[in-house]
Amino acid sequence: MSTIIEVSNLSFSYPTEEGKAAHRVLHDIDLKIEEGEFVAILGHNGCGKSTLAKHFNGILKADRGSVHVLGMDAGDEENLLEIRRNVGMVFQNPDNQIIATVVDEDVAFALENLGIPHDEMARRVDEALELVGLSEYRQRAPHMLSGGQKQRVAIAGILAMRPKCIILDEPTAMLDPKGRKEVMKTILRLNREEHITVVLITHYMDEAVQADRVIVMAEGEMILDDTPREVFQNVGLLHSLSLDVPQTAELMFALRQEDIKVPISVLNVDECVAEIEKLLGGGEND
Amino acid sequence: MLKDITLGQYFPVKSFMHALDPRMKLLLTLLYVVALFLVSDFWGFLVAAFLIGLVASFSKISLKVVFRGLKPLVFIIMFTAFFNVLYGGGEPLFPQIEWLSWIKTDGVKNAAFMIIRIILLILGTSYLTYTTSPVMLTDALERLMRPLKIFRFPVHELAMMMTIALRFIPTLIDETDKIINAQKARGADFETGNIIRRAKALIPILIPLLVSAFHRAEELADAMECRCYHGGAGRTRYKIYSLGWRDWVALGAMVLSFAAIIMLRIY
Ligand SMILES: Nc1ncnc2c1ncn2[C@@H]1O[C@H](COP(=O)(O)OP(=O)(O)OP(=O)(O)O)[C@@H](O)[C@H]1O
Ligand SMILES: [Mg+2]
Repeated sequence: MSTIIEVSNLSFSYPTEEGKAAHRVLHDIDLKIEEGEFVAILGHNGCGKSTLAKHFNGILKADRGSVHVLGMDAGDEENLLEIRRNVGMVFQNPDNQIIATVVDEDVAFALENLGIPHDEMARRVDEALELVGLSEYRQRAPHMLSGGQKQRVAIAGILAMRPKCIILDEPTAMLDPKGRKEVMKTILRLNREEHITVVLITHYMDEAVQADRVIVMAEGEMILDDTPREVFQNVGLLHSLSLDVPQTAELMFALRQEDIKVPISVLNVDECVAEIEKLLGGGEND
Repeated sequence: MLKDITLGQYFPVKSFMHALDPRMKLLLTLLYVVALFLVSDFWGFLVAAFLIGLVASFSKISLKVVFRGLKPLVFIIMFTAFFNVLYGGGEPLFPQIEWLSWIKTDGVKNAAFMIIRIILLILGTSYLTYTTSPVMLTDALERLMRPLKIFRFPVHELAMMMTIALRFIPTLIDETDKIINAQKARGADFETGNIIRRAKALIPILIPLLVSAFHRAEELADAMECRCYHGGAGRTRYKIYSLGWRDWVALGAMVLSFAAIIMLRIY
C-alpha cells in the first residue's frame, strides 16, 4: 500500500487586504492518506475543510509545511498537472463545474486538456459514463438533468482522468434524498470495486459512518482521526462542536445517560436493534 | 418570463442543413454575405433568393418562422429606406404630382435594393443559427480562425469564453427568475411607475445576480483547474468534424450561385 497524500505541518491563511491581520485558517495539520482508503472529513461550517481539501491537489499552496501527492511536492508548479490527473476533485454545486453543453463533451474536458488522442478519449468517456451509470444520457444537455445526475456527470468528468484518488467536497449538500442516495452509491462503488481512494467532506453522519476512517476538524485543527466506531463514541465532544452524530449513537448516548448499560460503539440500525433486544430480553429473565 | 427570449435561436431537428459541417456552414454564410454585397441588379437578388429557398426547403424550418423573426426589425428597415428615398437622386417618380416631387427614381431604387439586401442578409444568417447549435458555431469559429494564432490572436481563449458564456446563459436566466420571484414575494414592484422607478426596481435584482455570478466564476475556475485546464497549448479535441458529400454538394451550389452573381455584375 502506498501513500497517496502526505500533509506535514501544514498552515495556511488566505491573503487579506492590506493592514488587516491575516486570519489563520489551518494550523499545523499532519495527515497521511493511504491508497484505497475511504476517509470522511467532518467539521462545522467555516472550520477549514474545503481549504484543506484544496491543498490536496495544489489549488491552494501551503504557507508553511508541505503537501506531497504520490511523492510529488504540490508546492512545485512542475508537478501540478501530474498531481491533478491523479487526485480529482468534485465540488458542492454541480452547476458551477460543468463546462460543456453536452454530457459526453463535458466528461471529455479533462482529457482534452491532457492532450489525450481522440480514440483513447472516446474509450475513456464511455468507460467513465458507464461507471456512474449515465451511458444513456451521453447526448443530453446537462442543465436538463436532475441534481443527482448532474453531480454524477461531474464525477464522471474526474473519473475520465483515471485518478488514483477523488476528493468530494460536500457533493450531496444541494441534492434531494434520491439524488444523495444515487451519488453515495456511486462513491461507495468507486471505492469498493474500483479501489479508488476517496476523501469525502460531508455534513451528513449517515454518509460518514460508511467510511473506513473519520477525521473531525475544528477551527483549522484536526481533533479526531479514527474509525467511525471510535469517533462516534465521543458524542459529547461532537455535540460541543455543534456536530451531529448518527441517530443510533445518539440513542445509545441517551440511554447511557439514563444509566442504562448499553455499549456506546454501535453504528448501524441492526446492531442497535440487537443491543436493545438483548437489554429487553435480559429484563424478562429477571 | 425571461425564458421567452431566445438568443441566436437553434432548432434541433434532423435535416440536410443540420448535418452540414459547421465550418462549411460558416464559410458558406460568409460567401453568401459577400455575394449579397456584390449584387447590383434585380437578377442577382433573384439568384440569392433562390439560394435561400433551397436552404429553407433542405432545413425543415419554414420561411414563415424565419420571417416572423424579421418583425422586430421592420421599423429600422423602413426608417433607413425612408432616408434612402429622401436623399436619392434622379428624376421625380411622379412628375405630375407636386407634393410627391421629393420621391426620385434612383432613391426608390436604392431603397428597394437596400430592403431586399437586408432581408436576404437576415434570412441567410438566421438559417445559420437556426441549423447550427451555438456550441458547434463557436467550435467552428475556433477552428476556422486557427491561422490567426500566428498573429498572437487569442483564438482559443475567445472560443473558451464564448463556450462558457453560452453554457451559463440558461443557468443565469433561471437564477434571475428566482431572484425576481423572491423580490416580488417581498413586495417589490416591477410593473408600475415611470421608467426611472422601474429602472431603480432592477437594482435589487442585478446586485444579487452579479454577486452570484462572481461566486460561480470563482468555483468554475477551481473546477477547471482541477480538470487540468492550462490554456490552449497541447489540447486535443473530443469532437472531430469531417467533410462529407453533403458539404461538397452545398459548396458546389454556393460556388455556382456566386459565379452567376459575378457574371450578372459584369454583363
Ligand atoms: N477565498 C477565500 N478568501 C478568504 N477567506 C476565505 C476564503 N474561503 C474561505 N475563507 C475563510 O476560511 C475559513 C474556512 O473556510 P472553508 O471554506 O475552508 O470552511 P469549510 O469547513 O469548508 O466550511 P463549509 O462547511 O461551510 O463548507 C472561513 O472562515 C472562511 O470565511
Ligand atoms: Mg466547504
